[in-house]
Amino acid sequence: MHISEGILAAPVLVSGASLTAAGTVIGLKKMDYDRIPQVAILSAAFFVASLVHIPIGPSSVHLILNGLVGLFLGWVAFPAILVGLTLQALLFQYGGFTSLGVNSLNMALPAVICFLLFSGGVKSQKPELSAIASFMCGFCAVFLGSLMVAVSLYTSGEHFLTVAKLVVIAHLPVMLIEGLITMFCVRFIKKVKPEILEVVYER
Amino acid sequence: MRDKKEKMLKPFGAYWTIKLFIGLHLLLLTSSAAYAHSVYLFAWAEGDTIYTESYFGDDKKVNDGLIIVFDPSGKEILRGKTNEMGEFSFKIPQKTDMRIVLESSMGHGAEYIFKVDEFSDTVENTEEKPEIMEPNGSSSSVQDMDTKQIRVMIEEILDSRLKPIARDLAMLQQKRGPGLTEIIGGIGYIFGIMGIVLYFKARKK
Repeated sequence: MHISEGILAAPVLVSGASLTAAGTVIGLKKMDYDRIPQVAILSAAFFVASLVHIPIGPSSVHLILNGLVGLFLGWVAFPAILVGLTLQALLFQYGGFTSLGVNSLNMALPAVICFLLFSGGVKSQKPELSAIASFMCGFCAVFLGSLMVAVSLYTSGEHFLTVAKLVVIAHLPVMLIEGLITMFCVRFIKKVKPEILEVVYER
Repeated sequence: MRDKKEKMLKPFGAYWTIKLFIGLHLLLLTSSAAYAHSVYLFAWAEGDTIYTESYFGDDKKVNDGLIIVFDPSGKEILRGKTNEMGEFSFKIPQKTDMRIVLESSMGHGAEYIFKVDEFSDTVENTEEKPEIMEPNGSSSSVQDMDTKQIRVMIEEILDSRLKPIARDLAMLQQKRGPGLTEIIGGIGYIFGIMGIVLYFKARKK
């Protein structure tokens, strides 16, 4: 879901970059000393996830893991995803530097929104509710992300419905897979190291 | 970057050159989508023949892959199967832009656009009249034959000599997925950044 260079109009690029900058500042303010290694690990996971291609669906798409990053990091997802995307642009030539702001916004904002929507459900003691909430978190983060990609393309002159359909349908398998990944991650963390989740939601 | 590469290749001739089919890039977002499939196809022209070679990401040759050649209007020109070395060659039926599509098993595919101006001009050159004018008619025709023959011979020799170079350049031009170096490097960068952030945050305390 990386938008390449030279596709988006300048106002879209500028507003995307400034919103990402704002989100990153909020994220950095919220990032505590103890959590920095966790941020780095999730940033690395996000960075590598883009290499996992899913061969189902009309076009080849890859994992994003923004739901997972958002769930564990909240607002700190912004700096984590920005670092991941920067390195992807630098080393993999995914996306581009001018579109970095828009791409980060498209991935990080859904992460934060899903964090705000589903964190209550995820930390629930009821296993079913927690499982459903974490699945939805992974699912919706990709869904909102693809909608935002469609919106950014639309504001740069593409026909919205066509693009939105194309992007959302292409990412349906990713949504399902990321929902499941997020669900299993939360279940695993709750079993093995429940304090990780507690720490995130104390603040 | 592509332009730069093309410029670099020009000295080797308007001989051959393949362009990656960038339609997919333009079509949408994922720059990765274009080379996400781990099948590669490359092609080069030699005289009036186009050679293609197809291989998977792990350098395995595409055996029995279907190659279809389309003209610019999307009409199929010809089709054929790759041999066990992943190779397939065909005579140019007409000098137009061509889209060469490879379809291998399980929906894997690759495609390339061959531009007409990137063909070798061998074919026309051999038919051109040499510009040497002799007053005597018979000696002119002898000269004519000689120049033509020499030209054809040189072309043939150059073709065979440049073939491996053209092949290697075509392979280099392919976009491959990121390698292990990039992946490990990226993770290293992230943890390096983590170290820097930790350092500065620690000093503040």
